Amino acid sequence: MIGIVGARTLGGVNNMGRFARFVWQSAIASFRTSITPSSYSLIWTQMNIIGVRSVPVVMITGAFVGMTLAVQMYDQLASMGLEERLGNLINIAAVKELGPVLAAVMLAGRVGGALTAELGTMNVTEQIDAIRSMGTNPIKYLVAPRILACLLLTPILIIYADLAAIVGGYFVSVVQFGINNRAYWQYSASGVELWDVSIGVAKGLFFGVAIATIGCYKGFTCKEGAQGVGQACTEAFVASFISILALNFALAVVFKAIYDTFWPLKSLV
Amino acid sequence: MKHGDNDNGSGPSHDGGVIVLENITKKFGTRTVLDNISLAVEKGKTTVIIGPSGCGKTVLVKHLIVLLRPNSGEVYFKNQRIDNLSENALNRVRTQYGFLFQGGALFDSLNVTENIVFPIRQHHRITDWKAVEELVKSKLAMVGLDGYQNHYPSNLSGGQRKRVALARAIALDPEVVLYDEPTTGLDPIRSDVINELVLKLQRELNVTSVVVTHDMTSAYKVADRIIMLHNGKIVADGDADHIRDHPHPIVQQFIHGQVGEDQLAVLRMSGKVSQAQFLPRDFQ
Repeated sequence: MIGIVGARTLGGVNNMGRFARFVWQSAIASFRTSITPSSYSLIWTQMNIIGVRSVPVVMITGAFVGMTLAVQMYDQLASMGLEERLGNLINIAAVKELGPVLAAVMLAGRVGGALTAELGTMNVTEQIDAIRSMGTNPIKYLVAPRILACLLLTPILIIYADLAAIVGGYFVSVVQFGINNRAYWQYSASGVELWDVSIGVAKGLFFGVAIATIGCYKGFTCKEGAQGVGQACTEAFVASFISILALNFALAVVFKAIYDTFWPLKSLV
Repeated sequence: MKHGDNDNGSGPSHDGGVIVLENITKKFGTRTVLDNISLAVEKGKTTVIIGPSGCGKTVLVKHLIVLLRPNSGEVYFKNQRIDNLSENALNRVRTQYGFLFQGGALFDSLNVTENIVFPIRQHHRITDWKAVEELVKSKLAMVGLDGYQNHYPSNLSGGQRKRVALARAIALDPEVVLYDEPTTGLDPIRSDVINELVLKLQRELNVTSVVVTHDMTSAYKVADRIIMLHNGKIVADGDADHIRDHPHPIVQQFIHGQVGEDQLAVLRMSGKVSQAQFLPRDFQ
C-alpha cells in the first residue's frame, strides 16, 4: 500500500517536472519565434486555423450567455421595479466573468482538443521524431506558433464573445421583455467601466497560453494508438478546463488587488 | 586513454567507425531493451541489424542519432561524443544524418515538394527557388517519383510514401542514412525497389547505411555486414555468409523463419482448433 502511494507520488512529481520543463522550453521557443520574422508565416497559418474558424462558435456561446442572463435576472429585478438596470448586470457579468470563461472553455474544447489530436497523431506516427531527426527543434516548429497564435487571438475572440453577449442580452431585454431602450443602454454604460472590459480581455492572454500549452504537451506525450490519442484529448480538455477556472480565480484576486490599490475609494462610491 | 575520460571534446579514434556505440544500456521502466551493446558502424558500408520483433532494433537505431538517450554508455559520431550534447548542439550533428522511418513519417499537411524542402528550409535561407525545384526534381528522380511533386501523402501508396520519405531523408546529402524497417508492409516487388534504392544510394552517394529489418531477403541483398540482436544483446556479427553458417540456434531459427520448440509447446498447450468455440453460422 505504502509502495503504491509512493510510486504514484513519484510518478506525479515526475510528470509535473516534465510539464514544467516543457513550459520553460516552450516559453523560450515562443520568445525566439516572436522575434524571428521568417517564422511569422507559421504563426499566421495557426491564427487562421485557431482564430478565424473559432469566431462563429465563440459568438454563439456569447449570445446564449447574454440571453440566458437576461431571462434569469428579469423576474427578480422586475419584482423590485428595477428591470431597467438589467443591462448593467448582464453586461458586467458578461464582459468580466462569463464571456471570457465560457469563450475560453469553448476554445479549450475546439482548439485544445484539435491541437492534442493533431500533435498526438504526429507523435504516434513518428512525425515529431522525423522533425528531430532533420535537426529541427519540434517545440520551436510546432508548439511556439500555436502558443503565440492562441496568445494573440484568445483576447480578440473574447471581445467577439462579449459583443455577442451584449447583443443577446439586449435582444431578450428590450425586444422580448420590452424594457426601455434608452434606459437599458444608459444603465449599461454607467455600470460597465473600461477596467471591467480590460480585465476580461486580459484574462484571455492567460487562458490562451494555458489552452495551447496543455494541448501541445498532451499531444507530445500521448501514448500509442487511437486510444492513446483519444485519452490525451480528454485529459487535455479536463486539464484546460480546470486551469481556466483556477486561473480565473487567481486573476480575479490579482486584478481586485490592483484595482483597490489604484482606486481605493471607488468601490465605496 | 579511456573513452569516458573525454566527455565533451573529440573522443578517441574508432578504427573506421563513423558511428560508435560503447556499452549502451537502455531500459524502459524495469525492462532492459539494450544490454551493454557495443558496435562500430563502418564508413561507406551498409550494416544491417536483424532480429525478431520487439528485440530492440528500432531502439538501437534511434540511439545512433540520439533520438533516444542511453541510460548508460556512450555514442560517438566521427569521434565526437554526442549522447551528452544539448538538443541544440545535437540538431547540428543530425543534419549529417538521414532517417527513413518505418511508416515514412511524411507530414500529412504538406505535399511531396514541401516535405522534401522541409529540411532544406530549416537549415538554409532559400533565395533561389528555381534551384530548389531542380533539387526536389533530382531527389524524386533518384527514387523514381519525378512528377509526383504536388501529390499529398494521403494520395500515395505505402511504397511511394517510403520512397518520398527516402527522398526527404537524402535532401541534405547526409553522410549516414538510417533505415527503420524499409520493406515492412510492402509486396516483394516494392521491397526490391527499396533494396535497389539502398544499394543505389551507397553506390552513387557513398553514404554509410544502417538498415533495421527482419526481412532476410532484403538483408542478404544490401548488407556488407549483418548484426543480429536477441534479448537486447548482439548474438551474431559478420557478413552474409558468416550469418548463414552461424552455429547459434537462435540465429539459424531466425534466418530460416522457424518456430522454436518452446513456442510450439505453448501453442500445443493452448488447445486444439477443433475444440474452440465458434459462433453459429447464422449469428447476426
